[in-house]
This record gives sequence, C-alpha cells and structure tokens, in this order.
Amino acid sequence: MTTDPTTQTLDQRGVTDDSQVEALFQEVRQQFDKQTINLPDDEIGWRMKRDAWLGRKAGVVTRITENWLKTAAPRLRPTVGRCLNDLRSHVEERLEQLHAAVVAAAGSAALARERVDLSLPGVTRPIGSRHLVQQTFEEIERIFLSLGFTVVEGPEIETPYYNFEALNIPEHHPARDTMDTFYLDVPPGSQPHLLRTHTSPMQVHTMEKQRPPVRIIVPGKVYRRDNPDATHSYMFHQVEGLAVDTDITFCEFKGTVEYFVREFLGSAAKTRLRPSYFPFTEPSVEVDASCFACMGRGCRLCKFSGWIELFGAGMVDPAVYGFVHYDATRVSGYAFGLGVDRLSQLKYGIDNLQLFFENDVRFLRQFP
Amino acid sequence: MKILYDWLKEFVAVPFAPGELRERLSLAGIAVEGVSETPAGPSLDLDLTINRPDCLGHYGVAREVAALGRSELPPLSVGLRESSDSAASVTDVEIASPDLCGRFTARVLRGVEVQPSPDWLRKRLEALGQASINNVVDATNYVMLELGHAMHAFDLDRLAERRIVVRRARAGEKIRTLDGVERTLSPEICVIADAARAVGIGGIMGGAETEIGFSTHNVLLESAWFDPVSIRRSSKALGLRTEASTRFERGADPEMAELASRRCAALICELAGGEALAGVVDVYPARREPLPLDLSRKELLRVMGASVPDAEIEAILGALGFAPRRADKTSGSPDSPLATWRCRQPSWRQDVTREVDLIEEVARHYGLEKFPPRLHPAKQPAARLPHAEAEDRLRERLIGLGYHEIVSIPLVNEAEDALFRPAGVTPARVANPLAEDASLLRSTGLVSMAHALAWNLNRGQHNLRLFEIGRAYRLQSGAPDEIRIATIGATGMASEQGVAESAREYGFADLKGDLDQIGNLAGGFDWNAETLAWQHPARAGRILLANAGLRRMEDGKGGQWFVTVGNTVVGSAGELAPRVADKFKLRQGVFLAEWALDPFYEGYGLARDDRKYQPISRFPAVERDFSLILSEGTSFASVRETIAALGIPEIFSIEAVDLFRGTNIPPGKFSLLVRITFQSQEATLTEAQLTDFSSRIISALERKLGATLRSV
Repeated sequence: MTTDPTTQTLDQRGVTDDSQVEALFQEVRQQFDKQTINLPDDEIGWRMKRDAWLGRKAGVVTRITENWLKTAAPRLRPTVGRCLNDLRSHVEERLEQLHAAVVAAAGSAALARERVDLSLPGVTRPIGSRHLVQQTFEEIERIFLSLGFTVVEGPEIETPYYNFEALNIPEHHPARDTMDTFYLDVPPGSQPHLLRTHTSPMQVHTMEKQRPPVRIIVPGKVYRRDNPDATHSYMFHQVEGLAVDTDITFCEFKGTVEYFVREFLGSAAKTRLRPSYFPFTEPSVEVDASCFACMGRGCRLCKFSGWIELFGAGMVDPAVYGFVHYDATRVSGYAFGLGVDRLSQLKYGIDNLQLFFENDVRFLRQFP
Repeated sequence: MKILYDWLKEFVAVPFAPGELRERLSLAGIAVEGVSETPAGPSLDLDLTINRPDCLGHYGVAREVAALGRSELPPLSVGLRESSDSAASVTDVEIASPDLCGRFTARVLRGVEVQPSPDWLRKRLEALGQASINNVVDATNYVMLELGHAMHAFDLDRLAERRIVVRRARAGEKIRTLDGVERTLSPEICVIADAARAVGIGGIMGGAETEIGFSTHNVLLESAWFDPVSIRRSSKALGLRTEASTRFERGADPEMAELASRRCAALICELAGGEALAGVVDVYPARREPLPLDLSRKELLRVMGASVPDAEIEAILGALGFAPRRADKTSGSPDSPLATWRCRQPSWRQDVTREVDLIEEVARHYGLEKFPPRLHPAKQPAARLPHAEAEDRLRERLIGLGYHEIVSIPLVNEAEDALFRPAGVTPARVANPLAEDASLLRSTGLVSMAHALAWNLNRGQHNLRLFEIGRAYRLQSGAPDEIRIATIGATGMASEQGVAESAREYGFADLKGDLDQIGNLAGGFDWNAETLAWQHPARAGRILLANAGLRRMEDGKGGQWFVTVGNTVVGSAGELAPRVADKFKLRQGVFLAEWALDPFYEGYGLARDDRKYQPISRFPAVERDFSLILSEGTSFASVRETIAALGIPEIFSIEAVDLFRGTNIPPGKFSLLVRITFQSQEATLTEAQLTDFSSRIISALERKLGATLRSV
C-alpha cells in the first residue's frame, strides 16, 4: 500500500524536475479517472466523490494546492501550477458530466414510477343517445329540408273526417279494413275522435289553411289496432310528405322519391315504382328499393325478388282537392307516407319492431 | 288470391315463364308476392289491392296478361244445352230491396246426381286452398275462382213454393248459415228468402236448411249482384267474411252474373248430369248503360309529365276493355297534343270512373319506368318546426348529461296512469282497446318512464338515465288535448367504482343539478316544495319557470317589452314515493321529473334573445367564506336573497359550499358555509371595502335570519 502522494510535499516525494511533476500529476489523474468510470448510484454518491476531489478542506485538489504547489521550489512552481489547473478543470468537467447523468437517471426512475398505464380506462362521464326512431326522423327531415319541404306537425287525436272522409275514404270503404282504428271514449254528444291511423290528415289541415304551392313533411306517431309482433305495433311512426303546385307531374314525384332513396340508403340504391292503390292518390305506387342485403340478387329479406318495399306514395287524388277547395283542373301534386320504424328496421337490420318501444338500454346504447 | 299458371293458359297465351310473369304483373300493378309449386302446377300468390275485384278470378288476371302483350282477351263462349221446359215455369224471383240487390239470376237444373268431384277438379280447388265438398258446390266455387263471380246453389225442392224473394231481413229474424252458426239478422241485411223464410244471407253465405246434399236432385243456381256498401256493412255487423262477401264488397261485375251462371250450369251438367231448364230468370233493376269516359293527351301530360304514343294508349285501353275511339278533330295526325279518346267503362272495372283513372291504366301498362325523373326547384324557403332549435338544444343537453332517449307507446294501463295523474285531469280513454294494459292515452309521461325503468331493472340493468320527449293526453271539457312534455328517469349509481373514481349513488342532488343545467336553457328553473301524490314527501318538489310568466307586450309602434307575471309551475321532480315504487316492483330509489315543453321552448327563445355579453372584469376577484349557524328550516334561498337585498354591486356570486349538522352545532341549528365572490368592474377591491361588505352581510344575516357566525 503506497502512501497517498498528495499528503506529502514534492520534496518528500523526491520530485526534482518538471517531467517528474508531470508524471506525478498523470498518476493522480489516472487515479481520478479510475474512480469515476462508473456512474455514482445517486446524488449522495456523486457528492461524496465531488467532496473527495474538490472539497475545500480535504479534497485532493486542495491537498495538492497545499502540499505541492505552496511548497514547490520556485523553478518547479510554473509547471505545478499549470498541471494543477489542468487537473482541476478535468475533474470539474468530469464531475459536472456525472452530475447531469445522475440527475437524468434519477428523473427517469421517477418517471418510470409515474408512468400511466395507457390501457387502463379513463374516467368516462356517461353520455346518452338519441333514439333510433329520432335519428331516422332527423335524417329524413334533413333530406327533405334540402328539397325545400317545410316541417309541420299535427294532433294524434283526430276526427274521422280528417283521418278518412277528406282523404277520399268514406265510411264503408274497404280501405278502412287495412287501417283498423282506435276510437276515443268521448262523452255522449261530443264529436267522435280517433287515434290517427296515418299522418295524412295533415295533408288536409295544411291545404285548408294554405294555397298552393304547398311543400310539407309531417313527422309523427300513428296508431293501428294491430296485434303486436315483429313487424306490427299499435303505435308506430310516419313521415307524410305532400307537394302541390300548378306544375308538378309524376316525373317530379319520381325525381323526388329517387333522390330521397339514394340519400337515405346510399347512392348505390336503385328505385322502382310499382303501381298500387290508395284512396287518396291516383296513380298510386309502392316505392321499392333494390335489396341492400343481396344487392338485388335475391335473398330471404326480399323474398327472392331483389326488391324491398319501402313505402306507399302517389299523385294526390283529385277527390282530395275537392275537400280543400283546390281547383283539381289546375293543381296537381304528390304525397307519400314513409314508415319511419320500417325504414329504421331495414337500414339497421333490426328484425323485431318491438325493440324500438321496449327501451332496453342495451338496445339504446348501440345507436349513440 | 292464388292463381294457377296452367289455368291462366286456358284463357290466354302466356308468353312468360312463371318467374317472369311475377315480375311483369307486379310492375303493372298486380302484385305477385311469390311463385310456388302445387300439385296443380305453379301458382302465383297475388297480393291484390282492394280496387281490383276483377282479378279475384283467373279470367280477370288473364285479361291483365293479355294487356301485357297489348292483345285483347278472347271472349268466353259457353255452350249450354238446355231442355225445352223453361226455368221461368218452375221458379220465380222477386227483388223487394233493389237498393241492396241490383241483379238476381236464377237457373234451374233438374235431375242432378250429387257426388264427390273428379280428381282434376279437387286438385285445382285444393291447390287454391278451397276444400272439395261435392260436385255441385265445387262447380260454384270453381267458377268463382275462374270468373271471379261468387254464386250459390240451393236445393230447389227445399225452397217453399220454389220461389225466391230478395228482401231486407226482419228485425230479429234468425238463420242457420252453412257454417252451422245460428245468426240473428237486422233489417240492414239483405236476405235471400223463399216464400216462407230466409234461406241465405245475400252475397255473404247460404243457409243450412237449403244446402245441397247427396239427396239433392233439383238445383236453383243463384248468380246475383249486391250493393258493395250494404255487403260490407252486413259482413261487419255479422262478423262474417267469406269469399263471396270479399268479392261483392269490392264491387263485383253485374254483367258477369249471367255468364258465370251459364258457365256454372254447364259445369254442373258435365259433372253431375241432369239438365238445365231453358233460360234464366233474371231480375236486373240495377242495369245501366256503360259509363262514358274521356281521356285527353293534355290531361295525361299534366298528370304524368311525359307523353305516351297513340298506339300504346289505344292498345292498352283496348286490351283492358275500355274500347277507346279517337274523338278529336286532329284524329288524322299521330301523337297530336290535342288528341282525345272516348272510352266506355267495362262492367268489371267499377273502380275506373274518371279521366285520372284512365291515365293510371295507361301509365301502369305503359311502364312507370319510362317516365323520366325530375327534381323541381322550391319556390319558397323551407322551415323546420318553430320549436325545432329549442328541442335540439334540449335533446343535446340531456344526452350530454348521460340520458338515453326512449320512445314509448302512449297507450297505458288505466290504474297505473292514475298513480301519476294530477288531480282534476280527465284522462282520454280508448273506446275499443286491444288490451287492458293499453286502454288509455297516458295523462303523463311518468307512467311510461316508470315502465321503461322497470323493464331495464328486471333485466339486470341497474344504472339508468332515460328521457323522453313526447306528449301527454287528456280530455278538456270533452275535447281531446295533447300537451308536449319532457320526462326524465334516473336510478342506480351516479358514478361507478373504477381505478380513478369511487362509487356514488344517484340522489336528489343529482336530479336537481341535471334539471338546473336543463333549466338554464330556458332562463333557469325555480323550485317550490309542494309535492304530488307520486312524489316522495321529503325529496321532491315542483319546477317553476320564470319566463313562463313573462308576457310579451307590444306598444303598437313596433316596440315590445316583457312583463313578469310571476313564476309558473311547469312540472314536477323528485324521488318516486315508496308506495308507487312498490306497485312497479322497483327495489331501488328512482328519480323522475317531467315538465311542459311549450313554456320551456318559449323560455328558451326569450333567454336566447335576451342574452348579451357581460364585460369580464380586469380586476381580481376575492372570495370570502362565511360559516353561518342557522335555525333549521332556513333555506339557502333566504340567505342568498338577504345578501342580494343589500344591493352591493361588487357581489359577483353567492354559493353554498358546505352543509353540516351535529358536533359543536347546537340542537335545532345547522351550519352552512357560504362563499361570496366579490369583484369590481372599476378597481381592485381594498381590504377596507371587503371588511365593510363582510360586516354589512353579517349584520343583515343576523338581523333578518338570526344567523350567527361560527367561530372557526
């Protein structure tokens, strides 16, 4: 075990010339380098190292200053001074490096502890949803607003006149069979009332109040006395449409219907009009869309016809104009009745209509 | 109605395979639901519209098939060998009610041998869903399916005096019909009677006593025409729908009566032997000339928007039996815009009475796909519903607060509705409900909401927040009234246990907080402590809306101002009373609220229009906490009002931040920590100002409410 050279003076070490001085400093420097190869464990380890070398009272650099520089022979002093300065800067530089590394290591250890697990769930405030029927109403409304249709509403409790007679369905018309009706229990002597079986009464109300041009849609609830099953409910939703003017023909009707179907079902959807019968339209049609389940090739959904029946429509029957005092020889127009629930069922593949009205949150959450 | 493909071919050449025929007929308005195989060959399942009774037989459908190829249906010729004795010498027909029965023909067949039908006949009937009975009855059904005309065969020897009287039933008159049911009749019903009694219900069903049986030798064959409205009314009154009533109520062909009878007589002779007596006893009070109909190209263009060539118009109308003749002065020039045609209504198309009906006939066979689609520009701006924006904001906010929208059927159980019905409301009952659980239009949405919550709770869904925007219904002095309402329902946890959050149950404060957020849209809800029968007596109240009391006044010079007439109750909110919760088997606390939407939407509009920018102060705000000891029953509102009444403009907000009872608080008292924020628009507040405000506030609270400051 050799004595620590810095505790002795140069004389005691027997150093007599510059080269010996330099060799001695080289030895010390190697010693320092050896001791600082490894990063100290932490701030405390680094401080001990720093104090050992740069401590004011007992650091190596201080000892060299006291023992070597101050006692050095005048001829050796310039060399000792230069070497000491070199050593000090070397030590300071290296310790500073080490300190930065120690601080960085400490920081990353702390961060590692704080690091969030990104796969853990966040705090979610529950968000509700619009009912699917409402979403379809809004979708339909958006499309027809863009075509200049104004939205109107009407009562669900109607008189037989508006629900039937004024729509060219007199009391003993067989069409009434397809619209089994709930009647209201009203006090004797009051006007009879019923739950509207379609939104069509608003055609009459609107035309009674307004001269042509008329362009309206009527969203709302309607009621039929049908036993509930996968495709029937005693309440469901419709959007009625009516356009009347002096220059509307079947071609405008067809253009409007085709536009709606493409907007609602996508640009690939094809439309076909099939002649049908409704007492308040003439000619009447069923609007079919190409089956979106099989792209028209034929499947169970479309009963292997390639087409799906969407809704009924047609040119307003001139008899209806008679009830609202429009001149049937001058005006013409079209009307349609969209089944909102049916359209939603088709669009979202919902096989049971009852799901809409059970309001099970496991259903509601699926359509945010 | 099912149609056998091979049977059609007996009347017309069918140039299409069954699958293509299905498509072609559907596109011409005779909807074919599907094609199926039967022992009698392929059958088409028609879904006929009610205006086309002429297609309730193969012959009528054959006419449509012929029209697809623009050819006319070959006329039917029926060879019938008649004996020398005349039918008129054996029987006699009298129509006493010509308004109900427009034609009655009777043919007499003598010496028939009633037997089971041959195989070919049974096969066809059974393929079309008709049970085979015996050769005579089957012949009437066969010809009905063939020509669309319903007939009836009587055992002639069982008819008293062998004569027919068509008349109104006598009040209370009884008849046992073929289905074995004894029915009581009324004078609106048309009966076929003999000299003594009713032997059939005209156009609906024959009587059992004169039924054809294996002992029958002589037959009276009825082929008649009945008034559609009368048949429909009677069929409804009797609750009896038959193949015959379906055909007559839609408007059968009066001209077909005689031809169908001849065809049927020939078939009976072929199947059962015997002889047909000469002639037919035919009483025909409803006979009339065919209705003339005109069609002009001008009107066709006005309705359809695109033209159809002359040749197509004439071929289609000709094939369908309308016998079109050019009737305009330009008849020489093809496709003239001035072209008109004179047509006549065929007896089998009583649904076609107007020019527009002819236009439809032309269009459906010409092909709707040939009319070009066009969009037409709007001449007026489109508008949404007046309240659409307010409803959007309300819905948005409810969804943001975590509520799922429900849609319920407003028909509810009467007893359940009564649990929520406000006093003095007359409910709107349904006169003919389908079920007791749907016998009444709800008088509030709360009953539907309670149901929706119960449905989910019963299915393991315990944390629920639901809303509905709908209507409530009632009778207002006998007349129905519909009220727009919003309803919300909540139960379960307000927040669930998670890694970053602890669990907390939804409580009244959650409901109130949610409602206050909603109320802010309409200028703010106010509350009072009145409770309704459905509400928990301690944790509920009524919702008021200040704006609902605002009245817009006009000064006649275009200016307007608002006058507050006080807060108005618009709804109610709170925990469901345990008594009501039990009825719905709800085993956890349930919170409900409902308010009227018309005043809410009005309030929304007023609040939106009144909204103006409030300058944000550049000077710091200072908070001061006041820990008050108050007597039980003192409301926060009274504290707030007492402070506000001081009129210190620098008061920016007054909030309650803590509330407690117990340790260190004297009995009958509670402690409320109130935080007041002061801020000035003009300057930084000095300590002296703040001290002054504080002492004024404390002394006012002491004086007005007997409050004391709690030593901290």
